[in-house]
Amino acid sequence: MEKQRILIVDDDPDLRRALKIRLRANHYDTLQASDGYSAIAMAQKEQPDLIILDLGLPAGDGFVVLQRLQNNDSLSDIPVIVLTARDPLSNEQQALQAGASAFFQKPADNNELLDVIRATLPNPWPGTALPS
Amino acid sequence: MTNGQTHVLLIEDNPGDADLVRLRLVEGDSDVDVSCVNRLADGLASMAKKQPSVVLLDLNLPDSHGADTFRKVLEKAPGVPVVILSGQDDEILAMKALHQGVQDYLVKGDITSAHLERVMRYAIERQGLIRSLEMSRHQQLEFKNRFLSHVSHELRTPLTCIHQFITILLDGLAGEVNPEQRYHLDTVLNSVNQLRAMIRDLLEATRAESGKLRIEQRCITIGEIVQQAISMMSATAKEKHVGLEVGLDSRLPLVYADPDRVLQVMVNLIDNGIKFTPADGSVLVKACVVEADPDVVYVSIVDTGRGISPEARALIFERLYQDPDSIDNNRAGLGLGLYIAKELVELHGGRIWVTSEPGSGSTFSFTLPVYSLAKLLFPVTVYEGRLREAMVLVKVELTPVSSPPRVNWKETCQQCLETLRRCIYLDKDLVLPMLAGHGPEEIFLVAACTDIERAEIMMKRIREQLGKIVDLKASGMLQVSATRVTLPNVEEGNTATLEEQVRAVAHEVLEMASAAMDHRLPSQSKIGNSNATTSKAKTMEG
Repeated sequence: MEKQRILIVDDDPDLRRALKIRLRANHYDTLQASDGYSAIAMAQKEQPDLIILDLGLPAGDGFVVLQRLQNNDSLSDIPVIVLTARDPLSNEQQALQAGASAFFQKPADNNELLDVIRATLPNPWPGTALPS
Repeated sequence: MTNGQTHVLLIEDNPGDADLVRLRLVEGDSDVDVSCVNRLADGLASMAKKQPSVVLLDLNLPDSHGADTFRKVLEKAPGVPVVILSGQDDEILAMKALHQGVQDYLVKGDITSAHLERVMRYAIERQGLIRSLEMSRHQQLEFKNRFLSHVSHELRTPLTCIHQFITILLDGLAGEVNPEQRYHLDTVLNSVNQLRAMIRDLLEATRAESGKLRIEQRCITIGEIVQQAISMMSATAKEKHVGLEVGLDSRLPLVYADPDRVLQVMVNLIDNGIKFTPADGSVLVKACVVEADPDVVYVSIVDTGRGISPEARALIFERLYQDPDSIDNNRAGLGLGLYIAKELVELHGGRIWVTSEPGSGSTFSFTLPVYSLAKLLFPVTVYEGRLREAMVLVKVELTPVSSPPRVNWKETCQQCLETLRRCIYLDKDLVLPMLAGHGPEEIFLVAACTDIERAEIMMKRIREQLGKIVDLKASGMLQVSATRVTLPNVEEGNTATLEEQVRAVAHEVLEMASAAMDHRLPSQSKIGNSNATTSKAKTMEG
C-alpha cells in the first residue's frame, strides 16, 4: 500500500525540513515547493493527497495558489491546510472562503495539525484503524 | 498661511457692532470677505454650507447665550478657528473658552483694525498647527500599529522553526534523548511558549489600542469556563506548589459573554495569582451574584501572595505597567496582560478592579453581564415608545451531510452567522445568542419584528445568501422556517409597563426557541413560572 503524499509549500527551507521529519514520522510521504509557481506545477505533476500552504510566498502568494487550485478541475479536490505566520483575524475567513479546509497560525501545535490532517485525508486502509 | 482670500463669518446680532467690525476688517490690508448673520442657527447653517477661514463670534445672540454659544460652534466645526468678540471683559469665561478650543477672546471696545487682523491671522495659523499635529499623531499611531503587527509576524517565523525542531528532538524523531537532555529541552520549550504568548499579547494590545479587538458574545455558563481555566492552569500551580481552588455559587445565572475571551481573562488572572503567590499558598477562583447588583455576575481570583501597594493598584491596569518589585523577578513579562484583560472585560460592558492588603494577598475581580433576552430584545421590539406590532421567529438550520462533519464545519457555521447578520435589519431584528450546540447541527434563531408575509422576503434573502456559501453547499444542508410570535395584548386596559411587555415577549420567544431547539437554548425565565403559557403559533415551513 502506498503512503499518502503531502505537498509542503513554504519559502523557509528549515521549516519545510522540520515538517518533513514530522510528517514522515507519522507515515506520510512529503513533496516540497518553495514558491507559488512551483507549488502549482508540483501539484499538477504529482497530484498530492493534501497540501500544506504558507500564505506569504514569492511568485504568487498563498491566495493566488488557492485560487489556481480551485480553478483547475484536476486540482480543486485536493484539500489545502493553510499554515501561516499571518494574523488569523484578517486572513482566516478569506483563506477558508478561497477554498482552504483549515487555517493554522504559526507556530502551530503539532498534535492539532496532525489531527486535522488525519481528519481531512480519507483513511488509506479502509477497515483498519488509522496509523498514529 | 494667509494666501488667498480670508472668509470671515461674523455671528453678531447687534447691527452697530457688526458694522463696526466689518469696518475694522475692510480698513486692514489683507484680502477679506465678510458674511454676517445675526442668529447662531444661521451661523451654523452657513458653516455647514461653506467652511469659513475664521469665525468671529458674539456670545449673546437671540437664540443662544454665553458658553453654550461657543460650545455649539466648536461642536459643529471642530477644525475652524473661533475668535470670541464679547461685550464683557470676563476673564473666567475667556479661560473656559480657551480650554475648550476657542482661539482668542477679545473685548469689543478694545478692538483696532490692525489688532483684529493680527488676531485673526494668528488664530488661523494656530488652528492649522493643531490640525497638523493631530494628523501626525494619528499617522504615528497608525505607523506604530502597523510596525507592531509586522514585527509580531516576523518574530513568528523563526519562533516556528525553533518550536518545530525542539519538538522533533523531544519526540525522539532525531534519536534517543537522555533524561538530562530532555530536561534542558523542556526548559527551551517552556521559554518558546512564553515567547509565543508575549508575541500574541503584543498583537492583542495593538488591536486593543486601535479598537480592533472583537468579541462574539454568546450565552454561557460561567462555571464551565472556570473549570476550563482551572484545568489549563493546574500543571503550573502544581509545579509551584500553589493550591488551586474553586468556589462557585450554587445558582449562577447564565452570562452574555465571549467564552474564549472570558477564558483568556481568567487564565491571565490565575497565572498572575500563581506567579505572585509563594509555595504552599493558594489561588481561589470564585463566581457569585451580589443581591444589590443582580444584572452582573462577579468573578474573583483571590491569591495569598504578597499583595499590591496602593500606588501600584492605581496603575496596574495601565498598558506597559510593571510592578517595580517584580522587575528583578527574572520573568516579568511585557506588562500587557492586565491591560488586555481590562480592555476585554470593558468590551463586555463589565468592569475590573483589584483590592489588596499588602502582605496578605490580592483579589482581582471582574463583572460580566447576566444574559437577559428581554434586555437584548428591548431595542428591536420597542419603537417610538411602544411595542412593534408583529414578530416572527425565523429558524435557520444547518445540518452537515457527513458525520462527523468536515473539519471546517465550525468555520462554515461562523461564516453563516456573519452572513445571516447581513440579511437582517439590525434595528428591528435580533439573532438570538445561543448555548454552544451539543450536536453537529447548528441552529440560528432570528426574532424579527415583521409580519409573516414580509418575513418570507427575509427568508428568501437568507436562503439565497447562505446558499451561496461554498462550504455549505459541499458539506451541509440549509433549512429556513418561520413561526409567528404571539405578542401580549397592548390594547386599552393593559396596564403593563413597556419593560413588562418586553419581558413577556422575551418569555414567549424563549418558550418557542427552546421548543425549536430541543431545549438547547437556556430558558432561565422558566424559573418560578411553572404554568407557562403555551404558544399558539402558526408554523410555516420554508
